[in-house]
Formats: sequence, structure tokens, C-alpha cells
Amino acid sequence: MQKGLKLTDILVTIIIALIFSVIYKLWGPLYGIVSTFGIQLEQLIYGMWFIAATVAYLIIRKPGVALLAEVAAANGEFIFGGEWGVATLVFGLGQGLAAELVFMAFRYKRYDVMTVSLAAVASGIASIFIDYYYSYIGDLALWNLFLMIGFRLTGSILIAGLFAYFIVQALEKTQVTNLVRPASSDDYKALD
Amino acid sequence: MQMDFSYRETWLHKINPSLKLLVVVILFIHILSINNINFIITYTVGALVLYMCCTGHSSKNLFLISIPFLFIFLTSSTSMIFFGKGDVTWFKWGLIDITEESFFRGLHLGFRGILFAILGIVFSLTTRPVLLFYSLMQQVKLKPKFAYSFMAAVRLIPIIVEEMQTLRYALKVRGVEGQKGILGFYNKLTAYSIPLLSQSIRRAHRIAVAMEAKRFSDSTYRTYYYKIGFSKFDVLFVLYFILVIVVSYFTSIYLPYFSIQDVRYFN
Repeated sequence: MQKGLKLTDILVTIIIALIFSVIYKLWGPLYGIVSTFGIQLEQLIYGMWFIAATVAYLIIRKPGVALLAEVAAANGEFIFGGEWGVATLVFGLGQGLAAELVFMAFRYKRYDVMTVSLAAVASGIASIFIDYYYSYIGDLALWNLFLMIGFRLTGSILIAGLFAYFIVQALEKTQVTNLVRPASSDDYKALD
Repeated sequence: MQMDFSYRETWLHKINPSLKLLVVVILFIHILSINNINFIITYTVGALVLYMCCTGHSSKNLFLISIPFLFIFLTSSTSMIFFGKGDVTWFKWGLIDITEESFFRGLHLGFRGILFAILGIVFSLTTRPVLLFYSLMQQVKLKPKFAYSFMAAVRLIPIIVEEMQTLRYALKVRGVEGQKGILGFYNKLTAYSIPLLSQSIRRAHRIAVAMEAKRFSDSTYRTYYYKIGFSKFDVLFVLYFILVIVVSYFTSIYLPYFSIQDVRYFN
């Protein structure tokens, strides 16, 4: 296998990331509306901001894709004038790195719902870690803090884990994923 | 609604994009280290001046763009105001417990959110993505395959938006009704994302193949259509923020708006 990402991989990853960055941008106002309810309900939809990494990884299945996708999506949101401004870049980097580390721990060989959900949770934990400095969440009342962490991780499993997995499964039926995935051992067996 | 996005070029447009990005990231890190609400309020005003006067966009557009800022203020501050730790209680109702400390901490978070938003929006209003990537290739030595991929992808966004519009009409004409709840959300997500993603991946793949067929090379020794260097405006930009920081620092010490100096909670 050729080392590193080829131009095709990068271009496909970035276009996926940019589609999600448009969604990320639209997600901002929705997040704002939900958060007026107060009791951390908005955290349930926070997981959408981790989805670029998992979807891109599931489609292309190569090292580095998850990180590139999340960073590119954050960059896109930043360039399109996302409400969180510069903070987006830092969060994107952290979340992408966390997801990438999980995939690396499985040596880029597992593409099941478990792995993806773990990556989503890792992204969630990374975002909470950054939020510790960014939003003083350590100074929230304890029940509120637990509610927030619980909601955020649940939301990330649901959206960036399960939804991402099902989207890519549906996408596989269109055969489009065969364009960009590296040949697997099954493909070689089919030749014999 | 037809929106006019034409703008004047100002000195902010002429700053080297990589330098602008670097300064904004450094400011971000600096702002995270500020725990004094008096400091951050003056800081925000300093950034606001740039937003109002120097982006070269019409005041009507600036006003429309700034509406989400108010949301940012609310989303960043409300949880902390209502549920933050503190000792001097102002108002208590059920789980809601507004204390003096949590109120000012929430306010601080609101200003912090707005400040990041202003810095980000000033950057994006005054930076053309193409020039940003050319500058990143020339000054930061970003690999051309990343930069050109990004520029190509940005060009594809309008096509994707158009496709999304078509999809919406198509679903409407066929009488697809949105269901409620989590299943409805999932159905809606797939109805849009599958066609959009599959078409975009095909298109991106075709473009990449075409680029390689035309001998797109990843060598950093290449010629550039836009040559981006540095100018006196870069110095001006850095000096402006040094000034803002110095002024905010001294006003926070000698002319504080509130008596609170540190919004964190200490036992």
C-alpha cells in the first residue's frame, strides 16, 4: 500500500468535511435556540460537531483521515464565520486528534459501530477537557456538571457514533465508497 | 432575500493572511488566560471597534451578521449564571441558584464568547480563502495538495447548496412528510446526506483524477499566481492589539468597572 494520503483521499476528505462544516454552521443557531431551555439540553445535540471525523474515517478508512476531516470542517466553519470564531479551530483540532487516537489504537483495522462510538466518546471527552479551560465548567454546580457531561457523551454516541455509522452504511449501497477505499484482502481473494 | 455582500477593501484586507491567523490564535490563547472581567470588557470593546469601523462592509450587513452574537452571549453565560458555584446568593428558585460569583462568571463567559466571535468574524470578513491558502503555502509551507484540495472544495460548496435546494423541492413535490422525533430526524438526515455525500464524493474523485492527469505536483518548489508578502499593515495590526491589551490591562487595575478581579471559584 502506498504510504500517506493521495490527492484523491485528501480532496474527498476535505469535500466531506466542508459539507459538514456547512451543517456545523447551521447547527450553531439551533444549539443557541435549544440552550435557552437552560438545563443543558443543548448538550444532546453537541455530538453533531464530532461527526465529520467519524464519517470521513468510515468512508476512506485510512490513517490521518479523521484528524484531517475534523480540522478541515472546523476550518470551514471558521471561514464561513461560525459564531465561536477561533475557538472552533482549537476544538476541532482536539476532537480530531482524540478520534484519530482511537482509530490508531485499533490500528485502523476496525470499522464497526463500537469503534466509531468510542471515537465519538473520545472526541466528546476532548471537547470537555478544552471546555474546562474555556467555560470554567469545573465551577458549575456538581449535578449540573454531571448532567452536561452525560448529555454530551450520550449525544456524541448517538450522532457521531450511530448516525455516522448508519449514514455510511447507506452510502455503501450507492457503491461510491469503492472509489476511495483501499483494496481490502477480500478484494484480492475475489481475484483468485 | 437578495443580499449585497460587496465591500470596500480596508487595511485589514491587506494584512498577510497567515500572520492574521497566527495573531488571532495567539489572542485566543491569551484570552483563555484572562480571569478578570474588567480586563475582558475593554478587550471586547477594542475588538468591536475593528469590527464596526475597519471591515469595509456596510453597516446593515454588519448588523445582520451580529445577531447571532447575542445568542452566543446567552448560550455561553446562562448555564453558569443559573447553576454556577458561589456563596453570595441573590436569587434561589428550585434548582436555579444565582449567586454574585456565578453571575459575574457567567457574564465573563458571555464576553469571552463574544470576543472570540468578533475576532473570528473580523478574520473571515476580511480574508479571502484563496489568498489565505496561497499565503499558507508560501509562508507556512503547507503542502500544495492540502491547500489546492481546500480551494477546490470551497468552489464546490455553491453546487452542493444548489443540489440541496433541488433535493428539498424534489422531496416536497413527492409529498415526503417530516416525522417527529428521533426517527424522523434520522430519516431527514439520510434523505439529504446520502445523495449530497455520494454526488460530492464522485465529483471530488473526478476532480482529483483530472488534476493528476494534468500533472498536478506536490512539490513545494512551484510558481504562484498570487505572491503574498508582508507590509506595514501587518505591523499596524500587531501594534493595535498590543495597544488594546495594554489599555485593557491598565483600566482593569486603575479604573475597574466591577470590584471583582477573578471570576474563578476558590474554596
